[in-house]
Amino acid sequence: MKRYGQKGRAEAAETRGKPCIFRLFVAGDEQNSRQARENLKRLCEKHLNRRYEIEIVDVLEDFKSALENNVLLTPALMVLSHLTQVTIFGTLSDTHKVLSALQLT
Amino acid sequence: MAMRGRKEETEVSRTNETGIRKVATQIAGMDEVLNGGLPAGQTTLISGGPGTGKSVLGLEFLYRGAAAGEPGIFVTFEERASDVRQNALTLGWNLTPLEQAGKLFLMEAHVDPQAVLSGDFNLKGLIAIINGKTTAMRASRIVIDALDVLLRLFDDPARERNELYVLHDWLIDHDMTTVLTVKTSKNGESSGRYEFLDFMANCVISLDQPVTEQIATRRLRVLKYRGSGFGRNEYPFCITDEGINIIPISFAGLQHKALGPKVSSGHPQLDALLDGGYRRGSCTLMSGTTGTGKTSVASTFVRSACERGEKVLYIDFEESQEAMVSGMLSPGIDLRPAVQAGTLRFLTAMPEAMGVEEHLSRVFKAIKAFQPDHVIVDAISSCERMGTRMAAFGYLTRVVNTCKERGIPLILINQTAGFREENEISGIGISSMVDTIIFLRYIEIGGEINRMVLVMKSRGSKHSNQYREFLITDHGIEIPEVYVGEGGVLTGAARQEQEARQEAQHRRRFQEIEQKEHEVIQRRAALQAQTATLKAELQAAEAQLQAFRLDEKVWQNGRTKRGEMRGEDAASTRLSTHPPRPKRRGARRPGGAR
Repeated sequence: MKRYGQKGRAEAAETRGKPCIFRLFVAGDEQNSRQARENLKRLCEKHLNRRYEIEIVDVLEDFKSALENNVLLTPALMVLSHLTQVTIFGTLSDTHKVLSALQLT
Repeated sequence: MAMRGRKEETEVSRTNETGIRKVATQIAGMDEVLNGGLPAGQTTLISGGPGTGKSVLGLEFLYRGAAAGEPGIFVTFEERASDVRQNALTLGWNLTPLEQAGKLFLMEAHVDPQAVLSGDFNLKGLIAIINGKTTAMRASRIVIDALDVLLRLFDDPARERNELYVLHDWLIDHDMTTVLTVKTSKNGESSGRYEFLDFMANCVISLDQPVTEQIATRRLRVLKYRGSGFGRNEYPFCITDEGINIIPISFAGLQHKALGPKVSSGHPQLDALLDGGYRRGSCTLMSGTTGTGKTSVASTFVRSACERGEKVLYIDFEESQEAMVSGMLSPGIDLRPAVQAGTLRFLTAMPEAMGVEEHLSRVFKAIKAFQPDHVIVDAISSCERMGTRMAAFGYLTRVVNTCKERGIPLILINQTAGFREENEISGIGISSMVDTIIFLRYIEIGGEINRMVLVMKSRGSKHSNQYREFLITDHGIEIPEVYVGEGGVLTGAARQEQEARQEAQHRRRFQEIEQKEHEVIQRRAALQAQTATLKAELQAAEAQLQAFRLDEKVWQNGRTKRGEMRGEDAASTRLSTHPPRPKRRGARRPGGAR
């Protein structure tokens, strides 16, 4: 499990100043997992102005997290800092759709 | 990912003649249909419409395995784990201890319908979870229930197919005995979208639940089984409080026991008609229109059997136990002691209350638990209300077969609308399975209705072929002594009238006979007198004849002696070769005497 930035609490999410916390489930170094990682990072850089944290979970190493979070499909992005829990499956290639799901537009 | 190359021979897996490893399901009747069980380390597809029993079938496979120490994983995409546990309890399976023992894992694979899809994704998450759990539990069995729910997320047949092949390959590589269930459209045909599943799986089982005349019947059919034989029929099954129960009809009825000794019908005169009674291991059909006394005749038997300490199972589709027992009190047949002693047990149900399979399952359970010496079904004509005539036929065939296999004598009561149709008498086309037919009917003579009984058929018995009058009195049934009148068998008042008439005629005839006898004696005396006279005349004639013959002999002797003395050889020869004719005798004699 790799971590980018510092892990935070979900309750703080709505405040504009607090960072957005993501958990991205990947399956090893699969192509679509790599794409998802890259897409998420680019999106965060561009739209969140560094106020974000990304937690990467490799389901091949940590199946229990996948089970707990019911992640059957990979890659999967969960947003921990929003009050409304959102899960996005896929490589996050559709930036507009992802932003709208994250209510960042 | 931790890969495992596991090949465990479990105690429940076995190989058949072609060498395919199989895993017994331990589901009642299922392993017979599958020639031993599901293919081990391979995929079995169960398809069927909603509510056809796919999940229950899959869960029972895991439950029976887990209970036998074989760990398994149940992945459900539709139900909550708590619902699965609850449903299992209604089938008598407590999953919780098995879960705690690590023998069963319920995985609630719920995909959030609100989830957003963006770009490509695959099933690696699911595979990782399955991999982790199978390794931890050392599981070799997995059921993936309602896989179509997950696949629908891909929204692209090509991707669906690819992902499923990846999953399938993983399961095969890890020697998992897999059951996938997939919903099909209502008409039971698998939609083209999931056709590839049929090719992928080594064994394909289809379930459906057609409804005919408001009665639903669950059916199971094996569509294919690579490298193995299997039962090719449509097998009806039911989900009972003990799980799935498949009764393969084509496997039934092969081991009927031979008919045994006679057992009393409970009534001496009926025994006489039956040449001793019912035979053990036989099937007796009691047929007749309403109120002819079928139940009374059967109850007479029930009472006597129970008095002998034999156990009787009474399957009643007509009325409740209380109604039946109290109804039999009026003809003086008291079944209450038998009920109290526990030798008589009732199994009552409205025919339309459930499908054929459930009815059958109840009967089989009762037979298994109660071990009856006799089984009565009252009335088989009601069985048609389970659905169709075909359904009733299936029910009866299997009840008859089961009883015959166990050597249990069976009495079927059949209510007919009339008595013209032979087919109706013999009851829903099962006559070939019936050994004895007792026919009860009414006849109307002189404005009066009377009951008649006839033994129409009785295999291996010299039964009576006569209609007999049959009464239901307040102390049971009665079959009066046979009445052989001129106009056939008569009953009731007509019988009494006829008897009176007959007696008068009899008296008159007796007088005539007396007169005639007197005349005969006189005539015989006259004859004797005449005979004496004629005899005397005859004797006189005979004596005369004797005298004439003697005379002739004397004449012959004298003539021969004379010839010898004269040496007339020629004359003697001529005379001896040509004896005198009677006509010329008188003419010659004087000449000869000269």
